Amino acid sequence: MVIHYLKRAYSSFAAHVFDIPPRLLALLLFMLLIFLPITKPDDYIQRMFRDIFFFATLAASWDLLVGRTGQISLGHALFFGIGAYGTALLYKYFGFPPWVTIPIAVLIGVSISPLIGSPCLRAKGPYLALVTMVLPLILNTLFKYSPLLPITGGERGIGPLPPLIPVEFFRTIGFSGRKAYPMVDLANYYLGLVLLCASSIILYKIANSKTGMVFVSILDDDLASKACGINVTRYKLIAFAISSLFAALTGATYAHVITIVNPSGFLDITLSFLPVILTFLGGIGTLYGPLVGAHIYFIIHRYVLQTTHIPYLTGTQWTFTRDLIFAAVVIILIIKWPRGIARFVTDKLQDLEEARDLDERGKWIWKKYKKEKTK
Amino acid sequence: MHLLEVENLTKRFGGLTAVNNVSFHADEGEIVGIIGPNGAGKTTLFNLISGFLKPTSGTVKFKGEIITGLAPHKIVNRGIARTFQVVRPFRHLPVIANVMVSMKSPRGARKIEWLKTIERKALDLLEDVGISELMLEPAENVGHGDLKRLEMARALATEPDLLMLDEPFGGLNPLETDYLIKSILRMHLDEPSRGIVIVEHKLYALMKIVQRVIVLHQGEKIAEGKPEEIAKNERVIEVYMGREM
Repeated sequence: MVIHYLKRAYSSFAAHVFDIPPRLLALLLFMLLIFLPITKPDDYIQRMFRDIFFFATLAASWDLLVGRTGQISLGHALFFGIGAYGTALLYKYFGFPPWVTIPIAVLIGVSISPLIGSPCLRAKGPYLALVTMVLPLILNTLFKYSPLLPITGGERGIGPLPPLIPVEFFRTIGFSGRKAYPMVDLANYYLGLVLLCASSIILYKIANSKTGMVFVSILDDDLASKACGINVTRYKLIAFAISSLFAALTGATYAHVITIVNPSGFLDITLSFLPVILTFLGGIGTLYGPLVGAHIYFIIHRYVLQTTHIPYLTGTQWTFTRDLIFAAVVIILIIKWPRGIARFVTDKLQDLEEARDLDERGKWIWKKYKKEKTK
Repeated sequence: MHLLEVENLTKRFGGLTAVNNVSFHADEGEIVGIIGPNGAGKTTLFNLISGFLKPTSGTVKFKGEIITGLAPHKIVNRGIARTFQVVRPFRHLPVIANVMVSMKSPRGARKIEWLKTIERKALDLLEDVGISELMLEPAENVGHGDLKRLEMARALATEPDLLMLDEPFGGLNPLETDYLIKSILRMHLDEPSRGIVIVEHKLYALMKIVQRVIVLHQGEKIAEGKPEEIAKNERVIEVYMGREM
C-alpha cells in the first residue's frame, strides 16, 4: 500500500520534472560537448570523443539507408574507404589542400554509389547484405595487390596527409613552437563535432521530409509503394547516394584527422560492422540512436575495459578476456533493450507524459466530484 | 476505343495455367465486376494487368496503347491504380502519410495546385472514404475495415482513370460493406469518366453496383453480361453451387 503510494508519487513527480523538450535536451548535450575540452584538457578523452563523433556520423548515415529504407547494407566501409582513399590519392598526386580534395572525394563516392547500387539493390534482405559486404573486402585486397603498391602503398598506406587546419595556422595566430600541436587535436575535435551536428541535422531533415516518408514506405512494403506509383528503384538509389555521401564525407575528413590512410584503418570488415553495432545499441530507424549508441559503445570500450593490469592474467590472456567481456557487455545491452537504448529512454519519457496527462485528468475529475458533492 | 482492353491473356506457372486466354474490356465510366470461385485466377488477372506479373502471352491495352510488360509504377502513372486483396498499409507511417506517398508519384503530384497543399488533398481523400479522424494514427494501430478504406484512398490519390479493386469487401461486416458500397457509388458520381473494375466474392454486394459481370472459372472466362443475366446463367450456377445429381 505504502509502496504503491510512493510509486505513484514518484511517477507523478517524475512526469513533471522530466518534462524537457527534446530539442532543449539536444542543445544542452551539444553545449556540454562544446565545453568539454575546455573544462578538461585531457587529450585522451578529447581523442575518444573525436572518434565518437566521426563514427556516430558514419552510423547515422547507415541508419538512414537501413533503418529508414530497409536496404540492409553490410558494406558501409566501402564508401568510408573510397572517401579516405580519394582524398589521399588526390593529395599524393596533385598536392591539393584538404579543403579541395575532400569535396572531390565525396563527389567520387556519390557518383560511384549508383554504379554499385543499381546492380546490388536488385537483391533483397540477406542477399543484399552479403553482396554489399563483399565489396569493401574486394577493394581491401585490391589495394594490397602488389602491382598497385606504388600507388596505394599497400598495408603501409598513404601518408602523412596534412591536417585540416595546419600547424602553421596556429603558429600565425600566436601559438609558438610546441604549443601549436595540441591545437591541431583541438581543431580536429571541433571539426568532428561540427561534422556530426551538421550531418545529423541534414539527415534528420531528409528523413522527416516527404522523401523520407517514401523511404519508410519502401521499408514497410515495397510492393505497395510500387502500387502507389513510386519508382522504388529510384528512391532506393537516392537513399543509397545520400548514405554514401555522408559515409564518404566522414571517411575523407577522418583521413585528414588520422593522417594515414591504409586498408586496415579504412576498409576493414570491422568498419562495416561498427555502424551496425552502434545503430542497434542506440535504436535502429531513429537517427539519434546511433549517436547515443556511439557514445555508449566507445565509453565502455575505452574506459571500463581499458585497464591494463589484472591479477592472474598475463598480457595476451587479458586482452582476449577483455575483448570477450566487451563483446558480452554489448550483447547483453542489445538483448536487454532490443529496440535500442535511445528508444527505450524516449518510450519511457512518453509513458511519463501519458502518466502526467492521466494525473491531470484525475485531478480534474476529483475537482468535479468534490463540486458535485458540495452541491 | 475501350479504356481497358485485355486480349487473349494467358499466364502459366510451370504446368498450371492460372489465366487461360481471357479477353475482356472496360469502358470509361463503367463498373465491371469479375467473379469466380477460389482459384479462378481473378487476382492473377489483376496482377497481370497492373504489371506485378508478366503474362506468358496476350496483350493489355490501356487507352489504345499496349502496356503489357511495363513496370508497375509506370502503369500506375499511366492511370491504372489498384488495391490489394490482403491490406498492405505502410505500418510505420501515419494514415495520412500513407496517402501522401501516392502523391509523391509523378501522377499523384500532377494536379496539386499551389493553394492546395499535399496535406490538404490527402485529408480530403481521407474524408471521402470516411477515416479522416484517424489521420495521425500510425497505420499499425488501425483496424482492418479502416485499412480497406485506406487502401482505396491510397489508390484514389494517384487520380486513376481506371480503378481496380481487389476484393474490397473482404473481411468487412455488413455495416462496413454498405458504407463502402455507398462511397464507391459516390466516387463514381463524382468522377463519372473513371472506369472501375472490381474483383469480389460477395456477390450480394457486388451485384448492387456493377453494370457488367465477367465470370472466371479455372482461369477461363465462362460468361459475361448484365448482373441479372449472370444470376440466371446455368453454367455460373453450376460453377458456384455444383450440379444436381
